[in-house]
Amino acid sequence: MNSETSTERSEQGLQAWQFFVLAGLLCATVATFMARGQSVASIVLATVLMAATTIVGIAVLRTVRPLVFGDEDRTLMVGQRTRVALEREKALVLRSIKELEFDKAMGKLSESDFQEMSGRLRARATRLMRQLDAGGGYRAQVEQDLAKRIGEAPAPQAASFCSTCGTARDVDAKFCKNCGAKL
Amino acid sequence: MASLGTFLLLSSFVVCAYAAVSSVVGARRGSRRLIESGIGALYLVAALMAVATAVIINAFLTDDFSIRYVAAESETLQPLFYKITSYWGGLNGSIMFWVFLLSVFGSVAVWVNKERHRELIPYVVATISTVEMFFLYLMVVHKNPFTTFLTPAPADGTGLNPLLQNYWMAIHPPSLYTGFVGMTIPFAFGLAALITGNLDDSWLRAVRRWTMVAWLFLSFGLMLGMIWAYEVLAWGGYWGWDPVENAAVLPWFTATAFLHSVMVQERRSMLRVWNVTLVILTFFLTIFGTFLTRSGVVQSVHAFGDDPQLARLFTGFMVVILTFSFGLVIYRLPLLRARNSELDSWVSREAAFLANNWILLFCAFFVAFATMFPTLSEAVTGTRMTVGPPFFNKWMLPIGLVLLFLTGLGPLLAWRKSTVTNLIEQFAWPVGGMVVTLGALAALGFTQWAALTCFGLCAFVMTTIGQEFWRGAMVRRKNTGSDVFTALVGLVARNKRRYGGYIVHVGIVLIFVGFAGNAYKRDVTQLLQPGQQMTVGAYTVRNDQVKVIEDGQKQSVVAYISVFKGGKQIDTMYPAKASFRKHQNEPPRTDAAIRRTLPEDLYLVLASFDLGTQAISLNVVVNPLVNWVWLGFGLLAFGTGIALLPETTFSFALAKVGSPEAATTTVAVIVALMLFGAPRSAYAQHVELPGSISTPTNQLEKTMRDEIGCTCGSCAHEALSKCICGQAAQMREDLRAEIDSGKNHDQIISSLIVKYGGEHFLSQPLDRGFNRLAWLFPYLLGGVGVIGVSVVAMRWSKHGHDSETTDNAPQDAAMNERLDDELRNLD
Repeated sequence: MNSETSTERSEQGLQAWQFFVLAGLLCATVATFMARGQSVASIVLATVLMAATTIVGIAVLRTVRPLVFGDEDRTLMVGQRTRVALEREKALVLRSIKELEFDKAMGKLSESDFQEMSGRLRARATRLMRQLDAGGGYRAQVEQDLAKRIGEAPAPQAASFCSTCGTARDVDAKFCKNCGAKL
Repeated sequence: MASLGTFLLLSSFVVCAYAAVSSVVGARRGSRRLIESGIGALYLVAALMAVATAVIINAFLTDDFSIRYVAAESETLQPLFYKITSYWGGLNGSIMFWVFLLSVFGSVAVWVNKERHRELIPYVVATISTVEMFFLYLMVVHKNPFTTFLTPAPADGTGLNPLLQNYWMAIHPPSLYTGFVGMTIPFAFGLAALITGNLDDSWLRAVRRWTMVAWLFLSFGLMLGMIWAYEVLAWGGYWGWDPVENAAVLPWFTATAFLHSVMVQERRSMLRVWNVTLVILTFFLTIFGTFLTRSGVVQSVHAFGDDPQLARLFTGFMVVILTFSFGLVIYRLPLLRARNSELDSWVSREAAFLANNWILLFCAFFVAFATMFPTLSEAVTGTRMTVGPPFFNKWMLPIGLVLLFLTGLGPLLAWRKSTVTNLIEQFAWPVGGMVVTLGALAALGFTQWAALTCFGLCAFVMTTIGQEFWRGAMVRRKNTGSDVFTALVGLVARNKRRYGGYIVHVGIVLIFVGFAGNAYKRDVTQLLQPGQQMTVGAYTVRNDQVKVIEDGQKQSVVAYISVFKGGKQIDTMYPAKASFRKHQNEPPRTDAAIRRTLPEDLYLVLASFDLGTQAISLNVVVNPLVNWVWLGFGLLAFGTGIALLPETTFSFALAKVGSPEAATTTVAVIVALMLFGAPRSAYAQHVELPGSISTPTNQLEKTMRDEIGCTCGSCAHEALSKCICGQAAQMREDLRAEIDSGKNHDQIISSLIVKYGGEHFLSQPLDRGFNRLAWLFPYLLGGVGVIGVSVVAMRWSKHGHDSETTDNAPQDAAMNERLDDELRNLD
């Protein structure tokens, strides 16, 4: 199961996919019982067969479910891309800068080449960090969920930037976390 | 059970179709529901195939001979282990196994990248499903492993081919298939990037790791195949340029090229079109390789026989792949054009990578061409001829050495351009290492130029890598203030990709050392009466007795051979010949006895025997340095493993290392194979039992025996001077008769062509008529490659530094500080 479906509905007790697991376990037990006296290989195989069938059941559920329920998309997005993707890209750019510095120290790069290449990478890292700052963070998501759970309307998202420096502000913040200006 | 299996295959096909359609429609309409459902369907295919796999394995275990495939590949007495591996022992099952692996691999890849590359995923799902659909279609309409007999089922099956009843063969196909199948993932991501137009580097990052995994399995599969050939085919070598081997090594060349050129794109944003092309080409070659081996287009030791319909289906699929993917590349060409491609200097790492790529591609095309040439020639001239190991070796030996040289050269060159001081500083030690090694070897009396060059280059590469580790550790020690050892560990942990890559290169060097050892191979065949002994190199072997041993499945004739070294008995070895009851009309399987040591292997083959007199004809091969090849592969796997470790591993396990730069070297491994000189054979005086080799009477006979290959079809088209089968003995008689009648070289060739009805017995094509193409092609290919690379490089050189400024927006100090902070935290 993917993380979305498993976390989201946990409050509802028994989930549909757990039914298949239980059924699979049951069938495997029955198969093992009926196959007693036969070789170990065939018992193992019967169990594997049951496990595979269980997975088929879960996969069918996984295929049909989005069509029926159309679960709301909870993935954090920053612009057109997922937050995970941006964070990963940032990590990779930082890693590249590190590698470049190492190459420089090993004498594999001249000073001017290093300046130019590292400048380009740093600019890219900065841009990604800005994007990540601007996009809604995990906190906003948590607030939203919480609000929904308690039954309140989601907190207004309008004034979520500091008017002085433009940094994203937390919903309950009284001062900007970057420049300290009163909000 | 059989109808359940067929039903599962059919439903997999339907689900695949659904997955492809729903993801594409979902992506076009921006509907998450459809896309999610498509992903679910992809998982469902994997689950269905898992059930189908369990069903067929169950059929094998319960000896359900009403299924044709089971009856053909298994028998009641077969050991349990081989009953399971029979699943992929034949054509139909191997296609099914292929789909199963692809669905599992594809599901994992999609599951891992679902969030990271959300925009690409629908098309990745669609591509993978389409490929699965093709293979499922093959099975459903043509090669269904669940087909049953219309007549009553036989009481027992015919059993797995004896040659395949070997533990290496049991794990070789899964490994190789995983490698092949794994190459579909990069292809799917590449296509998705082309379709969506998200052509920045992010798809490459998603793909790099998967390519490495697939590459690792492919290399491992190749090695297992080599070990298998060495142990089971009993001709004392491990690589014979057989079409099936070639089919596996083709995508290996292009994948290796990709793993290298991807670094250029990451670092310099160059070669974008090239990288996409390599990914497509690699995938295409995996399909092409399957086509070669499954459709009977080429003759091979273990091809699966003629099947024109399969050939047509495959051809259609390959045409679709090429048209569709290269059509997309052309359509996206404007987006793919690199923003800052300029080659600043010919003495730079970029240039070294270009050279590496050109050579690897040359290898791939050359091998593909030489493999296909007999078929082409048959289509054009009507006669089938052979392109044997000598032809391959002639080209691959020098190419392998050049690649080995580049392996050492690449890490020494600077990015963008190397200055003269830079060069002197970097090259002093490696060149010194090479010179010292060469001097030492020459002083010891080694003279074979190819082996000598190889050893020298190996020393060059090893010094280079040692120097990289040492200097890196010094830099790190300065930065972190730790001791040398800690610095070394930290170095590898911090740059897993790079240093893992270097470790792979070390593996490649070991493999080359093993190849070079081939030049000093000794091979003697002699008739031994009971109690009689013979000496080869440091070893003396004595024929003690010959015994017949039976089990239910087979009858083995085993020779008991005592082995002495330095006057003391060190071992008793048991070379054998095994006849399988269910395969009476095939020649018995020859089980070589191998005594492995690090410096050399002692390899005994029971060529023939006489149970009455207890006399045997024994083929004794002393193979120096063979085990270094396997060791090298081990190191290669270790290095790749380090490169594959996730980023976070460092923080917990500083002692681990890894990186993918190393792939270049591996290429050379395979290349070198049998390249190094003709083995020195010594033919002792003896009576010619069937299967032993008579002594050539004169120089002409000796040369011609090397030029003519055995046509029995069960060996790797070995030269008459080596092959020990009955067919070869007959052919040697023919040759002797021709020589005795006083003809010269050319007359003999033409009279043998008439006698055998074609040129297929020659191990290299004659240089005339259409076949001249075979000799010209490598030059053409090389020439075109050089021109192409030069043109590209020239164009880059002219670009200049015009496009660098786009990203250099003014940066504010606060941001810079945060960046520096994060960078510090990384260490």
